[in-house]
Amino acid sequence: MTEITWPWQYNFPPFFTIQPHAETRAKQLEAWQQLITDYLKTTKQSTIDVRESQNCPLFNNATINRKLSQESLLIILEEMGKTGRAAPVDKSKNVWEVYWHSLDEWGNMLYNWASSNGLNNTVCTLFEIREGDNTVGEEFHGLDMNVLIKALKALEVKGRCELMEFDDNQGVKFF
Amino acid sequence: MRRRAGVGAIQKQKLEQEKYREKGSEIQENQFQQMSKQLEVFRENLEEFATKHKNEIKKNAQFRRQFQEMCAAIGVDPLASGKGFWSVLGIGDFYYELGVQIVEVCLATNYKNGGLITLDELRSRLVAARGRAKKHQDITNEDLLAAVKKLRIFGNGFTVINIGKGKWLVQSVPGELNLDQTLVLQKANTLGTAWISSSILTGDLGWNETRAQNALNYMVKEGLAWIDTQDSTETLYWFPSMFAECVSA
Repeated sequence: MTEITWPWQYNFPPFFTIQPHAETRAKQLEAWQQLITDYLKTTKQSTIDVRESQNCPLFNNATINRKLSQESLLIILEEMGKTGRAAPVDKSKNVWEVYWHSLDEWGNMLYNWASSNGLNNTVCTLFEIREGDNTVGEEFHGLDMNVLIKALKALEVKGRCELMEFDDNQGVKFF
Repeated sequence: MRRRAGVGAIQKQKLEQEKYREKGSEIQENQFQQMSKQLEVFRENLEEFATKHKNEIKKNAQFRRQFQEMCAAIGVDPLASGKGFWSVLGIGDFYYELGVQIVEVCLATNYKNGGLITLDELRSRLVAARGRAKKHQDITNEDLLAAVKKLRIFGNGFTVINIGKGKWLVQSVPGELNLDQTLVLQKANTLGTAWISSSILTGDLGWNETRAQNALNYMVKEGLAWIDTQDSTETLYWFPSMFAECVSA
């Protein structure tokens, strides 16, 4: 796993308490969103389970003995939801998907990859895209399946690809 | 028998007074002329001095300090105006330039320290931003203090706070800190912890609960302090401006 470079805030104890002063809180929430995004990107994850959050070093800094409570995490995730950087997966808002790139950005990235590799009008399996040898250097290599499908669906709406299913495998055709 | 004062005597007296007055204004005139002459000479010398040492003033920190001290001793402020008599020295320019750079650093770090920065951090950031040449590096804390004090003419947006032990904080957000709030900062600085709590204030400074809480709440309200409710004993109030990792970030 790649080493994470923690920002200074991570060792600043009050960072783990949601601040009452509006301006300070805005700075704090912004720093948290950045940190969460960077962390998930580095560890190649796309989902956060709020109930499990305190097992993750991201939300539990044992060195300074500070934890981010579940309520606080929800506040941050809701904030990320407003700007399209995250979305709840279930109704009870326990599991969240976090997009380190917006779905549109993912879509464009996939489309550009397909075009520059001459894959237009041929069918690629999603498995190929996520784990194939020729996507190893790409950012979407190993991307969460659900996020990948959402990004492709958004691209489908724009008429630039078509998702298809065969047997128990899924594929996509770029136009 | 004593003679009574006659009309002649009164007139004589008047005449004398008139003469005194004339003499008086004559002397005054003389003094004034002499004074202007002296000032003229002084100005000439000063200009000569300034042109000769202009670069020295900009480059040499010790020279600057001695010059400041000299000015303070004779009761003039070389920074008082960019236009006036003293502007020939070019010393004002140096501090104005520094002032602008200070404002830039304060604004650039505001997002993390809420507008409170230690003089030491300010200085190291300035030095880093000014380039490597020796003359850029040679900025003393006195220079910074002089420049920040000049920024006061823009209102109370820029203030220096003495927090003891030769340490200073520069506050770059409007809102004057009162004595209690300054004491809170001083206490946090003396402890060297970057945080303070109500019990420290009541214990060490002998304040009552309300007084301590008022001061702390104000710091939070101004965005200068962050609260931390996860300590086992009580709420802690942290100052990012004093937190080492924040300073070096």
